[in-house]
Amino acid sequence: MERELVVSGVGGQGIQLLAKTLALAATREGRYAMLAADYGGEMRGGPSKAAVVVGDAPLQALPILPSAWSAIFAHHRFAEGVQDRLRPGGIVVANTPLVDPSGFRPDLRVFAVDAMTAAKAVEAPQASGFVLLGAYNALTRMVEPAALVAAMEELLPPYRRQHAESNARAIAAGAATVEVSA
Amino acid sequence: MSLELLDGGAAMAEAAIAAGCRFFTGYPMSPFTGLLEEMSRRLPAAGGVCLNAESEIEGVNMTLGAAAAGARAATGSCGQGIALMQEAIAEAALNETPFVVFNLARNQQDYFQATRGGGWGDYRTITLAPKDVPEAVEHTQLLFHLADKHRAPVMLYGDPLLAQTRVGVDVQPRDFGPLPAKDWVLDGTGGGTGRSRQIWTWAMGKANDPGPGPDGHWRAIADKFDRIAAEEQRHEESMVDDAETVVVAFGTAAKFVEHVVAGLRAEGHRIGWFRPVTLWPFPGAALRRATTGARNVLVFELNAGQMLDDVRIHAADRDAVRFVGGVSIAESGLSYGPLLDAPAIRERILGGAT
Repeated sequence: MERELVVSGVGGQGIQLLAKTLALAATREGRYAMLAADYGGEMRGGPSKAAVVVGDAPLQALPILPSAWSAIFAHHRFAEGVQDRLRPGGIVVANTPLVDPSGFRPDLRVFAVDAMTAAKAVEAPQASGFVLLGAYNALTRMVEPAALVAAMEELLPPYRRQHAESNARAIAAGAATVEVSA
Repeated sequence: MSLELLDGGAAMAEAAIAAGCRFFTGYPMSPFTGLLEEMSRRLPAAGGVCLNAESEIEGVNMTLGAAAAGARAATGSCGQGIALMQEAIAEAALNETPFVVFNLARNQQDYFQATRGGGWGDYRTITLAPKDVPEAVEHTQLLFHLADKHRAPVMLYGDPLLAQTRVGVDVQPRDFGPLPAKDWVLDGTGGGTGRSRQIWTWAMGKANDPGPGPDGHWRAIADKFDRIAAEEQRHEESMVDDAETVVVAFGTAAKFVEHVVAGLRAEGHRIGWFRPVTLWPFPGAALRRATTGARNVLVFELNAGQMLDDVRIHAADRDAVRFVGGVSIAESGLSYGPLLDAPAIRERILGGAT
């Protein structure tokens, strides 16, 4: 079975990094993963989307997904059309207050996560993207939580090593957010 | 098996090195740049040389030189850069120097450029169009084999989705069988003996060893490309036997078409798909068989209709051929527009089938 995640947000929110972290974690678990990135020339402020697909056999998924099992909405901007592709019962992580969790189709399972507040609470204000990822993975168990942290550390360049601990706190804080609300 | 999460550029770089490529040149141009960067990172560690050339013309000619000296060599670019390389590719085809050209284009508008060449003389370029990254890993290695087998420059035609999508792949060296000895390379061993070798597009030879000359040489080259055309056609097809509608597509677009057609078949439509894996030689006989009895032969490609010509030449009934693709470019100019999307393709196919 292939499971698809679409991440939608604005350049600078860590969209690409959180998607890459999840895809790498799945790969390190020995599973098949695909990561398709879609972003403009801007570094910040432009549309930023990514698709991650994970499966136990060579993947059939298209690099532009016709439908998806789940989504993370990090920002309301550039999100048009994304929920239309979610299959009935799809899982949604909505980054409040930037995203209104009441604005989704009634058949979707929507989990509101105030990522910035949670990130600040664990003194990781730069890591709200990892809060969303931690929350998403706690809901879906796409990968083992430890694999997520290991992939995050593997992707840090040497000059960003100092963020490993705060990123890990952000992932855990995200998981705690949905474990309370779920 | 050990999966690595590689984008297409990195996967093709690993595959090229696994195939024995030890010389690579290029000039940055998106989406080819990623492959060049990966080669510059990986090739020196494998004992090879990667050069960022001053231009595409310099790059392809350095590759021609390295290949003439016996190295497994490659270069690449995109669109305009490939256009600049065409003279050297034609020379290499006519003087029988094998190398691989990675044509990582921004869309499918360079089908003619890849399959019709743009250089001079009677030549063709073997061109493979992988539909995804795992297939690009296989095609990369196959192309080095085909280049040496036929002593000809060959091409991989990809696009941004192929170059930039990251996929878990396990790159292992592939064995495609024995190859003729490279007894023609300019390795300097004959220097001063009167038996030095020569690679010359016009094959006029030397005073003590006259060559066949352009007439004999170019006849032989033409015969060789006829043989390649007969031997190297590759394609895939599915559900064509009872199909009223056969959709023809190549490369990334074909992967989308396969998905859409499988969905339509599941809904009860008598529909199948056909994918040329080699764009040249075009698998014409197979297409003729696959389209026999089909009322609609739909061509979907992201351009104004280029492969369409080959389909019209080879379809069982050319009056059944209809074009359902089109030009669709992202605002950036660097990738596809909204037509490369399963729902849009489905609409085009349903609209084209009568």
